[in-house]
Amino acid sequence: MTETVTQYRPAGDAGKGDTGKGGWGAGRRRAKAARDAEFTAFVEAAGTRLRRSAYLMCRDWHLAQDLAQQTFAKMYAAWPRLRTGTNLEAYSRKVLMNLIFDQRRRRSASEVVVAELPDHAGRADGSPELRLALVEALARLSVEDQAVLVLRHAEDHSIETVAMILGVSESVVKMRTARALTRLRALLGDDLDD
Amino acid sequence: MEPDLCRRFEVAVSADPGADPGEMARVAMVEGGRIRQRRRMGVAGSAAAVVAVAMAVGFANTTVRDGGGGAKPTDLVAAAMRPPAPECSPDPVADGATDAVIYLSEPTDRELAEVGRELEGDSRVGALVFESRGDAYERFVALWADSPDFVAAVRPESLPVSYRLRLNDRDAFAGFSREYAEKPGVAQVVGRVCPAGAPVGGVL
Repeated sequence: MTETVTQYRPAGDAGKGDTGKGGWGAGRRRAKAARDAEFTAFVEAAGTRLRRSAYLMCRDWHLAQDLAQQTFAKMYAAWPRLRTGTNLEAYSRKVLMNLIFDQRRRRSASEVVVAELPDHAGRADGSPELRLALVEALARLSVEDQAVLVLRHAEDHSIETVAMILGVSESVVKMRTARALTRLRALLGDDLDD
Repeated sequence: MEPDLCRRFEVAVSADPGADPGEMARVAMVEGGRIRQRRRMGVAGSAAAVVAVAMAVGFANTTVRDGGGGAKPTDLVAAAMRPPAPECSPDPVADGATDAVIYLSEPTDRELAEVGRELEGDSRVGALVFESRGDAYERFVALWADSPDFVAAVRPESLPVSYRLRLNDRDAFAGFSREYAEKPGVAQVVGRVCPAGAPVGGVL
């Protein structure tokens, strides 16, 4: 049996011959299925880390989930353009950080993505003190400082990649990281120094 | 202290309640599809232009890796942000390019002028267009109109200035590119193979 093969169309022609609205050929449907499979694989590979980074930025797992979800939706909307060769990890961090920066800009400083620091007397799971100390110290830093620390030290991205994600120069990343570390160290009472 | 900090970050996220990634992907596809739909209806004009260049535009893949491999972020951003003209070779070529873009990263005025003077006096160069940082930013914003997040994150000063040109003889490219890549202020020379009617430089 002969298969219908969709002709490769150079990008410049896109839109011109696009008359068959709703009349998707089998080839196009297959292409979409392949794209969606790629996208799903990307979400499966990147989802957990992205959500955890979001959590470090906002201290709330529900919100982190929501931010990750929004990030992936935005990426899916741009997927046909993104998927080939894009550094998807870096792109996803850029989208996430922009979402967070946007939210903080819109809300008042006191009403940051997640509100005041909780007094976590009620938390009984594991050793909340140890777990929360860093997150709460982080929350007292500016959002820019949080971002460089999360990207550089929780995610271990290179300075070059962080610069790309945040849209600043490498020297700004270096300076901001050093400054943020100093502040974090002060907040944690120097106990980061082994 | 870095290894310690890294470990503490691990501890900090150890209460992760988890999430179903398959579900996350499914929801993202539904919502992402809606975003795309809205855009298509909202900005039909620019959407068409974006579709036309919907190709391998990545953060990193469009730069020529020249052994050194140490391209600066501005170069990466620039190369990625300026998609090749649809009629040109999508990927940069090392020789045989008809068109080239010479990116300058934070050049001094003198370096910028010097490169311009040399290009004007260079018999290998046919057409020559200078693109300022402002021009570059304007083009970038127009091209990425459907990704406001992305646009918001890129500042004009992170885009390099460039000379875009067409060579009279494509066989001259390899030598030409080697020569100009060495010049002070030049970050990168990116060549593409384009047909006659393509935009000078081979990028949009």
